[in-house]
Amino acid sequence: MVALVPSLLRQELANLAAQDQRIDGRAQFEARELTLETDCLYNAEGSAKVTWGDTIIYAGVKFEMRTPWPDRPAQGSLMCSAELRPIAGRKYEPGPPSPESIELSRVVDRGIRESNCIDMDKLCIIPGEKVLGVMIDIHVLSDQGNIFDACALGAIAALRTAIVPAERFDIGEDYPLTVSMTPTMASFTRVGGRYVLDANEEEELGGDERIHITLGDEGHLHSLQKGLRGTLTPAEFAEILEVAQSRCAELAELVNSKEA
Amino acid sequence: MGGYGDIQLLREDGLRLDGRKVDEMREVVIEAGVLPAADGSAWVKHGLNIAVCAVYGPMEAHPRKIQRQDRAVIDVRYNMAPFSTSDRIRPGFNRRSREISKVTAEALESVVLVERYPRSKIRVEIEILAAEAGTRCVGLTAAAVALADAGIPMRDMIVGVAAGKVEDTVVLDLDKAEDNYGQADLPMGILPTTGEIAFLQMDGDLSVEEYNTCLEYNMKAAKEIHAIQIDALKRRYEQKMGGGV
Amino acid sequence: MSVSGTGAELRLVAPGEAIGAASGVRAGTGALIQGSEIIATRLGWVQQLNGVISVDPVNAAYMPRSGDLVIGVVESVRNNLWFADVNGPFNGLLPMSLAPWKVEFGAAREQMDVGDVMLARVQEVDEAHNVVLTMKGVGLRRLKEGVMSKISMNLISRLRGENDETLRSLKEASDCRIIVAENGRVWVDGGEDGTAFMRKVLDLVRNQGHMANFSQSLATLMNDAPGGVA
Repeated sequence: MVALVPSLLRQELANLAAQDQRIDGRAQFEARELTLETDCLYNAEGSAKVTWGDTIIYAGVKFEMRTPWPDRPAQGSLMCSAELRPIAGRKYEPGPPSPESIELSRVVDRGIRESNCIDMDKLCIIPGEKVLGVMIDIHVLSDQGNIFDACALGAIAALRTAIVPAERFDIGEDYPLTVSMTPTMASFTRVGGRYVLDANEEEELGGDERIHITLGDEGHLHSLQKGLRGTLTPAEFAEILEVAQSRCAELAELVNSKEA
Repeated sequence: MGGYGDIQLLREDGLRLDGRKVDEMREVVIEAGVLPAADGSAWVKHGLNIAVCAVYGPMEAHPRKIQRQDRAVIDVRYNMAPFSTSDRIRPGFNRRSREISKVTAEALESVVLVERYPRSKIRVEIEILAAEAGTRCVGLTAAAVALADAGIPMRDMIVGVAAGKVEDTVVLDLDKAEDNYGQADLPMGILPTTGEIAFLQMDGDLSVEEYNTCLEYNMKAAKEIHAIQIDALKRRYEQKMGGGV
Repeated sequence: MSVSGTGAELRLVAPGEAIGAASGVRAGTGALIQGSEIIATRLGWVQQLNGVISVDPVNAAYMPRSGDLVIGVVESVRNNLWFADVNGPFNGLLPMSLAPWKVEFGAAREQMDVGDVMLARVQEVDEAHNVVLTMKGVGLRRLKEGVMSKISMNLISRLRGENDETLRSLKEASDCRIIVAENGRVWVDGGEDGTAFMRKVLDLVRNQGHMANFSQSLATLMNDAPGGVA
């Protein structure tokens, strides 16, 4: 379903931007308040609930024992999948995964995978025979803007608190999954002509393109994505990258504070 | 329902493995209005089960072929999250979820005053986040709260409960082990005020006498869960009214 | 809803709950006769007035009635008519014959395009819930300036106040033109400060409109209004 954008909303957002203001009173690069809970789902080996403004997501980690891919006989695997099911909002419809849902999954997946925070070699149990597959599933329950950052945060928090159910697989005692880094995402949306951090639902509705930046512990870039129609200049990117550096460090600190 | 073989489900003292009496249900906690994006919503924790439900609508029913000229249709999606069970569930089409969605929708259509909204649909989205036996009942309990929270007119609430049989003994509200190794399961959707039954399934082996005991247990539990539903709904607004009233 | 912080006895009921005997009284909105009793069909506050028991719902979707003043957003345009989202289950239809302009067949888009906002009245609602809108009438027009916001149905009366008193003082305090339409949409047009003030007021209505101390909170906020104390 294509959301209807009232012309008055775009006008209002442009007027506010010209006065250096936002529709909910925040500063240009100010994020909404958020809470992160971990270990909140019975049956998941790692889990997190993120309440980010009025956006709510859950992430759960499951492990499976499987045979390795033929070209990587001594490596386990990681898969991150986000489902934008119709519970998330009025505009979401039932059916096979939408392009939006797949984009969300892949952007979050890349940020975690490319940071190499999980050592695939350590997921090997018997080379050529048995490896562990790590699966992160993200469920969006209420989309009120910026689900990307919320999903990325939930995914890494669930991973960092995950326990490998070794006993169930008959490979010894349960042990915490080793995650060596805390990649987090900061997203920017062009609203009224300029970029803002952490757009809310109205800003997304009346805004333009969005930029997603995932940074690792050293402030290195691990995943970038531009979504929706619009262009940006190198100078604009340099500005939001600087904001992302401090924002991502803040989020990583929050995730690390949740570890057992 | 499989055989129960070596697994012992009742203790020497007649209590169940988790210490419950035969006619005792698991703890139920309900919150209303938990999802800001939805028109109405509910969160239900029943034992270790967690169900979340969002209601959207009434809205125009489409595709057109599902539209009814004389009433609204209730479009239910019951879904288990991939991480809700001990083995991950692959997302996508699932015959079990389809069947549960269908009978849940029909149960809800029996209490919602659907004739008020011709050509419309009311979307009911049930997501099971954690499963420990009895999720269809928990989903039904959540759906009723979410519908009431959305302001959808209904002639009664609806409560999902199940009784069953383990080791030839009738018990209320089967947990995971009892569900896996028990002899029968009788989930019901009960209208708590009128005592009518809007949802009914059963599998296993029950004598008529045992069925009657199950029914009695279910009716009793429906009253208890109903009180928790109403408390959740009223708390949401009475809190908002402040202490001054 | 008459929530005056003076301790009026309010009873919150849920669907299926008995709210009185069926003899001698009629069941109004949100209520139903079942056997010898009247039961609530909605979550809301019990009201008894002139022999009618009804339930004032705490939450309800907008259902258009003829005569309602509504703010619509154009969703699609045909050669000689517009379809507008009026915040209800069905789109409203505005035929050219009920529009305030005379345009050539096929040139409807020049007057009002997709996304444009209109102030209209509900001309007619038929049994199948088809909604016909009109823009013929005093003040009905395309809203080209200002901001549009939304509140839930049950809070409209809180924003307006008794005899529109609250609304009048808000207009004065903000120095804005304000329209509170029957479909829960609110239009505000004025200076930057006035508009910013009204954004705060609408946030307050959305978050605390149900509360007993709403009037007090609103009064506090009004003290900070751009025009000073109202």
